Amino acid sequence: MGVPYVPVVGLIGTDLLKRRDDMVIAIDPFDGKTKTVVAKALRPDVALFHVQTADRHGNVSCGYDAEVVMLAEASKHVIVTAERIVDRLTEKDAKGTFIPGIHVDAVVHAPFGAHPAGSVGLYAPDKVHMREYVVASKDDESFAAYLQKYVHGVTSHQQYVEQFVPLEWRDPVRAVGT
Amino acid sequence: MMNYSEAELLAVLLSREVRDGEVSACGALSHIPAAGLLLAQATHAPNAELIILNSVFNPFRTSKQFHFLAQRGDLGLFFASGVQIDRHGNYNLHQIGPDPDHPQVRFPGGYGGGMIYYGARRTVVFRTEHTVRSLVEKVDYISACGSSPPDVLRYGNPTKVITPKAIFRFEKDVGTLQLDTIQPGYTMDEIRDCTGFDLGVNDDIAETPAPTEEELRALRVVVRTKMIDTGTYADWARKVLGADTAQIA
Repeated sequence: MGVPYVPVVGLIGTDLLKRRDDMVIAIDPFDGKTKTVVAKALRPDVALFHVQTADRHGNVSCGYDAEVVMLAEASKHVIVTAERIVDRLTEKDAKGTFIPGIHVDAVVHAPFGAHPAGSVGLYAPDKVHMREYVVASKDDESFAAYLQKYVHGVTSHQQYVEQFVPLEWRDPVRAVGT
Repeated sequence: MMNYSEAELLAVLLSREVRDGEVSACGALSHIPAAGLLLAQATHAPNAELIILNSVFNPFRTSKQFHFLAQRGDLGLFFASGVQIDRHGNYNLHQIGPDPDHPQVRFPGGYGGGMIYYGARRTVVFRTEHTVRSLVEKVDYISACGSSPPDVLRYGNPTKVITPKAIFRFEKDVGTLQLDTIQPGYTMDEIRDCTGFDLGVNDDIAETPAPTEEELRALRVVVRTKMIDTGTYADWARKVLGADTAQIA
């Protein structure tokens, strides 16, 4: 995407529209009378998302039919974390959505980067961790403790994986060139 | 007359809204509409195109495709629900409380319902609870808006509200709900007492035709099996549909 705005049929009369200054009612410039909503484009400075495979040039194979291609198109900078890095990836090799390297600024090798969520076909969501997350989300204090344990208290991604990704999941996910 | 649960009754009533050959859809977390759609396909609408989001009954690879299906006006029927539904066909899936900045309860409501209300040719709103707190004169927050001015581009609007106790039809010209029929076993006075707005009628109201044996059998056997086999709310189907199938077999 990356266009300045998009028309939307709907939402007129809702309280959602009243409370959002990034969506307004506009007249169709072609017929001069019909009204729709137009939504202002989101232009994120940086988009960060996890995929299954990426190459040195930033070409990305998401591994499933991902909506993130829109996010990549809209954002000024794109950082991708990937389960594995390969030497060369073409549109033909891609599984699921392919994002051409032209959109991507940086690629980071991060096996299990989706954890505690899953990565389609590689590993499922970590249900035990997810339950812990839900319980921790109940109030600020317990959530701060969660963040201390899993985010602030960890110095590297590798340390996170060693400490918190279940041992039996850690098949060698190999990266070329690492 | 055969016995049926409220969930089975709603699934049957929703299924009757589906037209053969049309594209009909329901969102995620929609057990009863999913059963209703599959029931329609198993009975009177074998050529209905069904979309049950987050299930195998979804021809699309991305939600963007579903979005633009609705935006083009190609969606025939959508099943929606709200925490509150009001006399003007608005529903609320956002929040409860008089002060919008400090809601007492926040629900997951967002953008989709308010968009699809315009895009789908018909939206049938259902609610499992028919009380004065769920069917109200005015919703606390309009997530989806029943009526709009004539110069607004709109392909469709709400057509019915269905609860375990009654069916309302939406009168588009005046923009209000009117009591249409009452489900078997309920009286006008009961409906009046549990509805938070004026019913818009004084006369005797007809009774909704009860689920037929054919409908219930299809729901409890064909639909139940299909939901279990395809992992479409399988646990729910196992528990709720045909809990007493053994008795009717």
